[in-house]
Amino acid sequence: MSMRQGNGSRISISRRDLIRVAGVGTTGALALDATRRGALAFAPAAQDASTITFWTPGGSPLYCEIMTEIAADYSEVNPNVTVNFQCGTDPDAFQERLLGSIAAGNPPDATVYWDTPVALGVRGAVMALDDMMATAEYAGVENWPAGVLASCQFGGQTWGLPVAAGTYGIWYNQELFESKGIPSDRASFPKTWDELRAMSKEFTRWEGDRLVSAGYVLPAPSGLAPTLPIWSALNGGQLYDAENQTYTIDAEPNVAMMDYFIAWLDEEYQGDFSRVQRSGAWGPYPSDEGQPPQFQAGNLAMIEWGSWGLGDFYAYGDPAFERWDVAPYPVGPDGETAVSGYWPNWLVIPEGSRQAEAAFGYLDYLSGVGVVKWFEVIPDLPTNAEVPETVPTLVAEKRGEEFAAEAIDFFRDQLDVVTPMWDSPVQSFALDQLTLALERILTKQGAPQEVLAETQQACQAELESVLSSQG
Amino acid sequence: MAIAIPTRQARTRTMPRLDREARAGLLFILPWLVFLVVFTTYPVIGTFTLSFTDYSVIEAPEWIGLDNYQRMFFQDSSFWTAVENSAFYAAVSVPLRLVLALLLALVLNLGVRGISVYRVIFYLPALVPPVAATIVFMLMFNLDTGPINVGLRALGLSPPDWLRDPVWAKPALIILGLWPLGIEVLVFLAGLKEIPQDLLDAAAVDGAGRWRRLVGITIPLLTPVILFNLVIGVIYSFQVFTPALIIGDTTGEPLESTLMYMVLIYRNAFRYFSMGYAAAQAMILFAAVAVLTLLIFRSARVWVHYEGGER
Amino acid sequence: MSQVIVPNTGQNLTQQPSGPQIQRLAGELGKHALLIIVSIVFLVPFYWMLSSALKDNNQIFAFEPQWWPNPVHWENFATAINFPGFPYLRLLGNSVFYAGAVTIGTVFSCAAVAYGFARLRFPGRDLLFGITLATLMIPPIVTFIPTYILFATTGLTGSYAPLIIPRFLGDAFYIFMLRQFFKGIPADLSDAARIDGASEFRIFWEIMLPLVRPALIVVAVFSILYTWHDFFGPLIYLQDPMSYPLSLGLYAFRSQRAMEWALIMTASTLTVLPLILVFLFTQRYFIRGVAMTGLKG
Repeated sequence: MSMRQGNGSRISISRRDLIRVAGVGTTGALALDATRRGALAFAPAAQDASTITFWTPGGSPLYCEIMTEIAADYSEVNPNVTVNFQCGTDPDAFQERLLGSIAAGNPPDATVYWDTPVALGVRGAVMALDDMMATAEYAGVENWPAGVLASCQFGGQTWGLPVAAGTYGIWYNQELFESKGIPSDRASFPKTWDELRAMSKEFTRWEGDRLVSAGYVLPAPSGLAPTLPIWSALNGGQLYDAENQTYTIDAEPNVAMMDYFIAWLDEEYQGDFSRVQRSGAWGPYPSDEGQPPQFQAGNLAMIEWGSWGLGDFYAYGDPAFERWDVAPYPVGPDGETAVSGYWPNWLVIPEGSRQAEAAFGYLDYLSGVGVVKWFEVIPDLPTNAEVPETVPTLVAEKRGEEFAAEAIDFFRDQLDVVTPMWDSPVQSFALDQLTLALERILTKQGAPQEVLAETQQACQAELESVLSSQG
Repeated sequence: MAIAIPTRQARTRTMPRLDREARAGLLFILPWLVFLVVFTTYPVIGTFTLSFTDYSVIEAPEWIGLDNYQRMFFQDSSFWTAVENSAFYAAVSVPLRLVLALLLALVLNLGVRGISVYRVIFYLPALVPPVAATIVFMLMFNLDTGPINVGLRALGLSPPDWLRDPVWAKPALIILGLWPLGIEVLVFLAGLKEIPQDLLDAAAVDGAGRWRRLVGITIPLLTPVILFNLVIGVIYSFQVFTPALIIGDTTGEPLESTLMYMVLIYRNAFRYFSMGYAAAQAMILFAAVAVLTLLIFRSARVWVHYEGGER
Repeated sequence: MSQVIVPNTGQNLTQQPSGPQIQRLAGELGKHALLIIVSIVFLVPFYWMLSSALKDNNQIFAFEPQWWPNPVHWENFATAINFPGFPYLRLLGNSVFYAGAVTIGTVFSCAAVAYGFARLRFPGRDLLFGITLATLMIPPIVTFIPTYILFATTGLTGSYAPLIIPRFLGDAFYIFMLRQFFKGIPADLSDAARIDGASEFRIFWEIMLPLVRPALIVVAVFSILYTWHDFFGPLIYLQDPMSYPLSLGLYAFRSQRAMEWALIMTASTLTVLPLILVFLFTQRYFIRGVAMTGLKG
């Protein structure tokens, strides 16, 4: 698609050339170089006292507090390293800050990152961690669940550490089940899509144009797009094939999956997705227009949600019921085994970090030790095998220690059956394309086959363009 | 008693002073010249150059010639969608804002009792941070419980689901943009204050009615300021960003209807790591707006009246 | 075109010659009615924001529109002020400093530059003005990276310097605006002063500036307003949270997933409050119109 210079060689412009072109001239370029070298001269030697800067994109005040504590703890154990922790204030603008700092040569030494490190790694924005992982105390390859580590790997290298990963399951309202005479234990939960769909009928109730209560409702496109890989895998398919570095969005199982969703929409929800959306907030969070989440309000029987729900379930006022449980995903007509998915917190070391070794030391600590304190306060599930299995406090308070332990064990178990996700070099691009595709399909603006084919073409083209420019 | 000296005479008198004037002129704009050289030339030329490269911000740029432009015009449907969206927004929003702001300013200048209270009320919205304003309006546009639809229903109309309907999402954005109208109103008010009251009084004494005074004196004397608001309106309406991003996210929900040009540039630059492509898109925006502005200034020769003369 | 200038008699006549009493009363009522309707329209979102600031989180999400918070959570304001990570008074001070410094630099530099473009002829003037306008047309998002690199290599990041220094050199937006205002002043004034032997600077300082005072106030108010809301610049260039302005502190509220909307509204209201006060104070300058002074002689 794109034209490159005739014989296949790349014409690469170094930053210095760019400045020259911009007319600042050699003086400017020299000044740039000199400043950089001068700055390096002032960087403290690694063996003596060193300070590493550690960023997070954002986070609640509670999150910032606990991260500050963890940083202080680390300095106690390693007195020659000070962690200069900066809690981010705007997750939306974080990407710009981070990229700008890497481009200017003054990035943080390490940072939490809320998107796949693969995208950064492919473009040389972060350092490969394999060597350091080999001699790590906690962060070695063998201590991470394979399916989760896959989100950090590309081209045979590891570009980040998936320190915590919330896993998904289907949450359901036990009290609502029982009121309909349906067994509410986990073992009885629907195992296939057909079973789920049949059971969902029991709860559907319309009042004219408004959907008042429902069993299971497809999330809005922006919520469904990130978890679509799970649904695809449940139906025996895949959206992105990391091994062969190719997209398979319009493959048979995926088209069949969308057809299934449409059929369900038509049968149960008057075929009008917008009407469903309008009737309320069917996701686990309040809608943009301020409607309360229907699951917590007791109007939605089942919902796809991650382990962070252990905290967020209680975050929007008092839920209308007490007893909920979680079950594995049901399997699609073309699928074979139940899988799950995840949404990680990653740790990366940007290219240009001057304290990479010291920074990795901190990341290692975070992976195995720091994350425990983090988990106590915010239910981001630690993934490292070396981490003791603790129970999140809030759930324990609300439902008792025993149930809380059970619930968190369920989510931990899911780590072993997660399907690869978050592993594409063009993750964000694909996510946006899929969101649009889902919008169009679900509002009947286009047939699944065509829309998915278009999306496939766009994503594949973007992927190839990125991969080829990496030489 | 003061009598003005006819302009013609004055002009010939000042001819010999051109050198002194030129020197003074350059001195006056000196700080800005420094700014232009240091803070504009480098980034702008840099952006222009980047538009011919493949640049992910974190790696060095790589020359790819016209690839970005080719892709933009022939292979990117989102580009054209964004162009349409932004053009629609500008075409509706600019005239609307201009007319409404002018009307408001005229009314506020009338000297009604308690006028200062009204003034404060009209300016208040402009003080609200854009993010908070957007969030508030999202609550206000709610289909059932939002005050806007409640009001429309009270008038017997059946209102749309603004933020979910691809047809009504852009009008919703435009309405949201009208709230901080106080900004344009302020500028118009300053312009109105500059119109010599004595001129209006003299005309009144001569028998000119309110309407005649408005059309014959006020508006013509206001045209320099109208030009300002018009040009600025055009430039900034193409750069609408924060509300579009909050309402439509990076995909321009619903169905790409809120995908504004700036959001497109932003997502290419920072979400898809295609800063070179974003730079190319920025260049196109620049070219389009520059042409529009040039046309407006050309037309200005016909309808803008400078009391200071066309020096 | 010659012009007759009537000296200022000290009165500011704002009322038209009197008509019948009833007609005038009807006119007044009509104006008031119009103004009230428009005011209500403008105020509704504001009211919504304020009432949301005083609600429970639940109530914002209640199904029926809650026009009045019940119960009224006045303590939301106290909570917001004392919120960890949102040291209100400190951030307020930073905002005042930032906005103040920028405004002073902006007003003076832009007035001078605008005057140069408007009233003085020099080679390349129109071209340079065109370039000035052109700078407004390039979205800052794209020029941000090269600019940031520029500041990073000169070691100025981590302070307010990159945010304030450029503002002392001018701003295309205000230069354009003030240029229009300067061009609206009759040429005879400066011509006469030149004949009297005044230097260009004196003409500028003593005659022209006072004549565009309403516009200068507008520039100052806008500058304060935009700087108050500017969070992106501080976000990129500042590192020490204690040096953040209020606008950036407001963003600390938007936590990763929890949407504490009530508190967001409260924080927004708190951010806006100082601005409202500034506004009320500068109101007087708008009420005082410009009186044309006659030429000496």
